[in-house]
Amino acid sequence: MEKHELMRITEALLIATPEPLTEARFLQCLDDGSRSEISLAALIEALNLEYKSSQRAFKIFNVANGYQLVTLSEYETYVKRLYTKSSRLRLSQAALETLAIITYRQPISRIDIEAIRGVSSDSPLRTLLERRLIEIRGRDDGPGRALLYRTTTDFLQYFGLNTLQDLPKLREAQELIQDEDENLV
Amino acid sequence: MAKSSSMQNYSVDLPIFEGPLDLLLFLIKKDELNIYDIPISKITKDFLAYLEVIKELRLTSAGDFVLMAATLMKIKARMLLPQSPQEGEEIDDPRNELVNMLLEYRRFKEAAEHLGDREHTQNRMYYRIPAGSEGEFEVGAADLLADVKLYDIMLTFQYLLQNYEAPYSHEVVLEEVSTTEQGAYLKMLLGQKEELWFSQIIQELGSRLVVIVTFLSILELIRNREILMEQNELFSDLRIRRGERFGKA
Repeated sequence: MEKHELMRITEALLIATPEPLTEARFLQCLDDGSRSEISLAALIEALNLEYKSSQRAFKIFNVANGYQLVTLSEYETYVKRLYTKSSRLRLSQAALETLAIITYRQPISRIDIEAIRGVSSDSPLRTLLERRLIEIRGRDDGPGRALLYRTTTDFLQYFGLNTLQDLPKLREAQELIQDEDENLV
Repeated sequence: MAKSSSMQNYSVDLPIFEGPLDLLLFLIKKDELNIYDIPISKITKDFLAYLEVIKELRLTSAGDFVLMAATLMKIKARMLLPQSPQEGEEIDDPRNELVNMLLEYRRFKEAAEHLGDREHTQNRMYYRIPAGSEGEFEVGAADLLADVKLYDIMLTFQYLLQNYEAPYSHEVVLEEVSTTEQGAYLKMLLGQKEELWFSQIIQELGSRLVVIVTFLSILELIRNREILMEQNELFSDLRIRRGERFGKA
């Protein structure tokens, strides 16, 4: 199959997919033996170049191990009017802190989260569950068999991440101190 | 139960401080203190002054602040006591544990800031959502089941129960109802019909108690794989069908 045709197929799949289109899913959809010629990544790159040169208002974004169409941030003002306010509510500081702890320490129990935050975290956990950014994944082996939380695919998508490895490493305490000292000088 | 949750609605969260550790970090930064050598009596004094405000505001997290105040005073007391280390042993600074907690918390606070920045950037781009992907699709039962989490079931149950009005009645009767009985009743219904809807079942039940017992029996039957429960979206009705071990247990 020609590259041009493959690009159009990719485009059609991206328009129709309800979730990020993964390479595996893409190959399943092709299912005609022409798979090995051009990688999905190369097709996406070509499409993105095409969109850019023809000044489209969208691009293909690499997220949660797959690809999805997104509108360009320049058009936020207009697109956001399509949505009700509540659908774009930003997370509270408490929710972000709780989420950060879960992200780097998953799977983790509520007690352990609270030990780090030093404050009760019931309500941010509930918010994160309701927004499907985290999920319950099993129970702790220790006494009490506490519920364990971990991040979801929606989490990756929400923050525009391909994998968890895209996040910066937690800084070591020592680096934080050095920073602080430099700021004071 | 209902009372305590409505009480919580009245409480507010201070915009700046997420908890006692956050406040301590603020105090340390404000006065440019060395985190490894915190002047404990000064910081305790500042902290207690702030605690008064928190008590005044009746914050939900007030308890956590009180606990930290107690910890600070304990550390302060221990620092006043002379230490007599065993030979070759280092003097254990009573502040160590607190310092470690502060440093650990600060790492995550920083990570949270990073997530917040990403959220901000990401919120300006909108993903394409194909029409109908919000559950209006005709989807197979397996797809539906795949996404139902226990948490969703509990939320839906809570929601349905809130909207459930028991038939008005003056009679006081002792209700004898058991999960075994309700389980048998459900299985009898499922023997006649392919599928049941939870909202329909509860309409035919006499009281809140019976609804709860019936729900427990459903959970029990799901556990035994005698029935399956499915849901389209959050708060939508729960569909009950025969499971792989239906009638075999």
